[in-house]
Amino acid sequence: MTTQTQTQGIDFATLSLRDALDLAVLIEEEARDRYEELAAQLILHRTPAAAAFFTKMMRVEEIHRKQLFEQRQRAFGNHPVMVKREMIYDVEAADYDEVRMNMTHRDALEVALRSEIKAHRFFEQALKVVPSVEVKKLFTELCEEEITHQALVKAELLKLDPEKPGDRDDFSDDPVAQ
Amino acid sequence: MTAPVTFQAKDYKSDLKPIWCPGCGDFGVLQGLYRALASIGRPPHEVAFISGIGCSSRIPGYTTAYGFNSVHGRSLPIAQGVKLANPELLVVVAGGDGDGFSIGGGHVAHAVRRNIDITYIVMDNQVYGLTKGQLSPTSPKGLQTVTSPLGSLEEPINPLLFVLAYGAGFVAQASPADMPGMTALIEEAIRYPGFSFVNIQSPCVTFGEDDQQLKVHKAKMKTLASLGHDPADQLKAMDLARSYGTELYTGVFYRNPNPPLSYEELIKLRQAEESKKARPRNRILDAYLQK
Repeated sequence: MTTQTQTQGIDFATLSLRDALDLAVLIEEEARDRYEELAAQLILHRTPAAAAFFTKMMRVEEIHRKQLFEQRQRAFGNHPVMVKREMIYDVEAADYDEVRMNMTHRDALEVALRSEIKAHRFFEQALKVVPSVEVKKLFTELCEEEITHQALVKAELLKLDPEKPGDRDDFSDDPVAQ
Repeated sequence: MTAPVTFQAKDYKSDLKPIWCPGCGDFGVLQGLYRALASIGRPPHEVAFISGIGCSSRIPGYTTAYGFNSVHGRSLPIAQGVKLANPELLVVVAGGDGDGFSIGGGHVAHAVRRNIDITYIVMDNQVYGLTKGQLSPTSPKGLQTVTSPLGSLEEPINPLLFVLAYGAGFVAQASPADMPGMTALIEEAIRYPGFSFVNIQSPCVTFGEDDQQLKVHKAKMKTLASLGHDPADQLKAMDLARSYGTELYTGVFYRNPNPPLSYEELIKLRQAEESKKARPRNRILDAYLQK
């Protein structure tokens, strides 16, 4: 994935700091909403451990979104948002096909890790094409943040008992063709 | 960035939570539909989703637009009725390959030849998922399912060739493995002035084959643009469409460069023509008296 395939109609060569901040807010918003959706899917399909983790991630993404939004408000007030949610595609949001019924807590952590890596790669690629010094500074900060998030998820993964890879087999309601 | 935001994808999303299996391709299609509608900018009350029966036919409930989750295979006749009753509505038909090409297969040809300005989106997963994994009209030959335990003996229907052969003015194929590309195709199909068809390869994670999943799509798909295909070339489109089931080509197979008038436009013309000949109100009964 590159910035080209994850965005549509965004010209990184002319991206202003205001639009870059709005873009960052939308990326966090998309990730938050996706985690909420994935948690709802898994609750519905009786996969509680992974659902609980995605709910936690949803709250984390909302905190990030809020921080970025406040930064944007301080710098640019209520100037209309020119960047649309329709312009970004799964930058930090986990892909829909990453989840499965009966996935384990470990599976969910791995999904989150892949999403953080994906987001880091996005900002890394974007840094190569944005000429603005201010936008470069913002994207560098975001890039570093994504590395911190990856470290947090990796630490969570290490806490899991390697002897107990998951509880997938505990489920009795795997779908059966009829 | 030029224009302030008007409608956003979330404006088309209802409070009802989809009950599809986690990982289902239809989640991506739904997201693409929201985004395509936001780009088009019509308010939800000017949009109607019509569907039949099946997993993907649940889509009307997941939008804030008008919706009709109708009977199995009958989404196209109902959608045509809705469009003719209210030509100002943007009408999108959504359903699966079973709904569209098995029980509803007879309606497709007539919707195509009538050329009413509706968009038909088929979420093609090559299996009956809702009823737990039976052979569907687009299942590949040899597929083992509960209704074909020794492997299917039938060739699958080719949805792309089917609609191209009946003269559809806009025919495309997409996959949720390429969200921006799929969204752009949905938008283009909706904007086409006449009957438009998008076959979306939307895998069933529960009963679908491993080689039909999105990760395989990502590796396998090729855009028609990258092959240098000219969407105005109908014969080439039919040639490329023959590889349905073996290759995964995405993009516009065919777009009529000179779209004919749609059925509802022809009706308007007919009405205008007839109204010129119309008698004054106090002479209407004369038509019957002369007989």
